[in-house]
Amino acid sequence: MQRPNNSRPIITHTNPKSPISETFRTLRTNIDFSSVDEQIRVIMLTSAGPGEGKSTTASNLAVAYAQSDKKVLVIDADLRKPTMHHTFMKTNRWGLSNVVSGQSAPVEVIVETHVHNLFLMPSGPVPPNPSEMLASKRMTAMLEELKESFDVIIIDTPPALAVTDAQVVATKVDGVLIVIDYGKVKREAAMKVKANLQHVNARMLGVVINNVNRKNGEGYYYYYYGNDQSAK
Amino acid sequence: MELDLKDYIKILRKRIWLIVSIVLVACLATGIVSFMFMDPSYEASTKIIVNKQNERVGADQIDLNTINMNIRLIDTYKEIIKTKRIMDKVVQGHPELNLTRDQLIQKVKVSSVNNTQVMTLAVQDESYAKAADIVNAVSKVFKEEIPSIYMGIDNVSILNEANRDDNAAPVKPNKKLNVAISFVVSLIVAFGLAFLLEYLDDTIKTEADVAKYLELPTLAMVTKIGEEDLGTERMNATRQVEVGEQHATAKQ
Repeated sequence: MQRPNNSRPIITHTNPKSPISETFRTLRTNIDFSSVDEQIRVIMLTSAGPGEGKSTTASNLAVAYAQSDKKVLVIDADLRKPTMHHTFMKTNRWGLSNVVSGQSAPVEVIVETHVHNLFLMPSGPVPPNPSEMLASKRMTAMLEELKESFDVIIIDTPPALAVTDAQVVATKVDGVLIVIDYGKVKREAAMKVKANLQHVNARMLGVVINNVNRKNGEGYYYYYYGNDQSAK
Repeated sequence: MELDLKDYIKILRKRIWLIVSIVLVACLATGIVSFMFMDPSYEASTKIIVNKQNERVGADQIDLNTINMNIRLIDTYKEIIKTKRIMDKVVQGHPELNLTRDQLIQKVKVSSVNNTQVMTLAVQDESYAKAADIVNAVSKVFKEEIPSIYMGIDNVSILNEANRDDNAAPVKPNKKLNVAISFVVSLIVAFGLAFLLEYLDDTIKTEADVAKYLELPTLAMVTKIGEEDLGTERMNATRQVEVGEQHATAKQ
């Protein structure tokens, strides 16, 4: 299947040997081992503000899971400024908003991506009441239904400080990942995100620090090691 | 939060462009002001010896008491030179200088080396010739006025006058010194600013920050996407072009 050419590359798919790809595989492993008793299958990603790399992290993490022979679904639950359909070069005419409003069945809006084992549910048309839609019983029922068809479900949500959508979705998932842009998010903002999520008894898995400067050279060993192996 | 030397170096390296910019701007500004906008200032000086004229210089005739008195007199003379009485006489006797009494008092600097009978009068001006004229005029008037001021003692001699025709180098501005001072001061300011900005920076950067403020584990630290991360797809694209070219050649 041909890989789409887009401005937000899914490094884990396009260059699996890069240090960044390895970082996402490490993230996948850390999530898997963050719970001993029960398997974490529905993961939500949020951040304090916009442009911190939630969608990029979500798509790359989804690919990392798909590469480990798991059937993965990415749900774009950002019903205000959806971006996932751009990442995977798909239409946004039908999606989550159609399912939650009862216009479509989940199967009708889920699309196959260019990555093997990876599927996408776009956000669909932007509704006038996103928070209410995400809080609805239909949303809960839909997630329960999708759990039967997919091994891992990754949900991309709006920033936690901007709107309540992330808090609403957090009550319906197995774990929450907070994405923090390196050197951009103030301590108070990050603490507020955590407090907001704790308020709804969300289970927080941990933090992903994004856009870290590469000056310390972490990950280069893998990069060169990987290159040596491929040369052989 | 305790910082070791590595942390300090890291902070300075992180803000290196800020530091370099501040130092460069400061040095350039100082250089431009010193070289282009500051008028050069010249200094002319005369030396005066406090010693009785009728004293003969002979090893057996040196009166130590007189010498000591002359040395002590220097402090008095230093004050007398800058009095209105002397300066008024200079202004009256030398109208060509175009200076008021107060301007003269400001211009004339009097100094002496400890335990010597020599006094130095110095004047700074934008014209060396004028500085020489002023200092010579003050010296002469002082020499002439001392007997009438100080109990008829005539013990002041001019050792050497300032030559108005000398090709003197300007004493101000000291361009190199100005730039050097500017460099040191701006470097200190830049370092201070770098550390202040780091202190005021309350953003999340490390796993330690996450653990301290959020009490959550850091599951991953994703670096910025660089050229090497996009390398594989570019190599593949190049290979496809090469393969295409080979096919085209084979067909021909």
